[in-house]
Amino acid sequence: MSEKQENNSVPFYPDHLKSEAKVALGVGILVILTGVLGLFFPVGLGAPADPMDTPLHVKPEWYFLFLYQLLRFIPKTIGAITPVIIVLLLAIWPILDSKPDQTKKPIRVRILVSIVVLLIIIGLTIWGEVS
Amino acid sequence: MKSVYRKIFLVIISICVLLFSAAMVHSYTAERPEISSQGEIDQQIYLAPIKPEDDTCIQCHVDETFTNIWTPTVRWVLFGAAGIFFLFGFARSASVWRSREAWVPIPKRISLYLDDRFQLSDFLKPILSKPVPDWQRRWWYCLGGLTFFLFIVQGITGIMLAFYYKPTPAEAYASILFIENEVLLGSAIRMIHHWSANGMIVMACAHMLRVFIMGAYKPPRELNWISGVALFVMTLGFGFTGYLLPWDQRAYWATTVGTEIAGGIPVIGELALVFLRTGWSITGLTLSRFFALHILILPLITVTSMGMHFLMVRKQGIMKPL
Repeated sequence: MSEKQENNSVPFYPDHLKSEAKVALGVGILVILTGVLGLFFPVGLGAPADPMDTPLHVKPEWYFLFLYQLLRFIPKTIGAITPVIIVLLLAIWPILDSKPDQTKKPIRVRILVSIVVLLIIIGLTIWGEVS
Repeated sequence: MKSVYRKIFLVIISICVLLFSAAMVHSYTAERPEISSQGEIDQQIYLAPIKPEDDTCIQCHVDETFTNIWTPTVRWVLFGAAGIFFLFGFARSASVWRSREAWVPIPKRISLYLDDRFQLSDFLKPILSKPVPDWQRRWWYCLGGLTFFLFIVQGITGIMLAFYYKPTPAEAYASILFIENEVLLGSAIRMIHHWSANGMIVMACAHMLRVFIMGAYKPPRELNWISGVALFVMTLGFGFTGYLLPWDQRAYWATTVGTEIAGGIPVIGELALVFLRTGWSITGLTLSRFFALHILILPLITVTSMGMHFLMVRKQGIMKPL
């Protein structure tokens, strides 16, 4: 062990594995419940695809909805490169912000940033859903 | 003296196996009386299965108007399990009686057998006995693991759906209807696949937020963050390609809009659009391409990146917060 021995610790096997198995079991039960629900209320299908008939309201899945809503208000080219830039920014983020935290302050700043971004995304999603 | 018991035991077992297989062969090949009414069919079902060449309606076994295909299976499983149970009890008692030593459980025997050959305990002991400090046993550290769990669920249910799905414009819609209405538990499997996909995206976002807030992406863990971003993009790619597969109006037009957005990228936009649609419009070729991306290419890349992701976590450990 490279780090010094921790005082408050449990062995990985069987204690920690047991609690992890409990979490997995809980989610597994949720998954099976979803399946049971699906027996009574199936996911279902819309009308078959028809390239000649454009529906009035085309909406993507909820996780692309905020992007779709954003695209209504900004030019097409900027809207198309926005997701690419977001992903690239996420990918190089550790290079931009590489100093290790000395105090709790940067953590609070990141929490604030996350909350703001999340609120914007959730707001755009709800807006896209109701409009 | 030991070898005598073993020989007697083997002879008894071989006689049992021979008798049983003879009975099964007989039940398949015996002369069958002419069947005239449904009532007689019902009676015959419990005697022996119809020979394949006499069984004209294979579809009937799927839509459950005709169920006798299960009869021999149920019989084999039932009697086979009982036989294994009694044989195991006999062998266990005989072994304890002969050796006067406590019985070694089967899992223990298997682990000893494998350890003898591959020295697994040298490799597993440091992993299993590693202490886990209490600060790591908080709920936010299991979000990534849950994403992986849901990915496994997606893999299993996706393989199940792939058995019945047909990736052509003429048949995709009908095959999904078939899965929902005809296939045993088909609607349950599709529901699980649908909602686990949503759950996987939620869990991946939550995991990413956790890592971002705690600052766990900072050096020396920046490569792990990058592989995580790649996995996140892959998850969204799964959602995007999987959405077209039902081939209904919603799927078709959502993909039209989505690929149009990709087409708006300067310089490479049109190339991206033509690559995604396999041409200028969405056709059967697009469906084939999205199907291949969804079930072959994305899973391969995802599993590889996941392996790297996990190896790096394993090597570097979880970042200790302030």
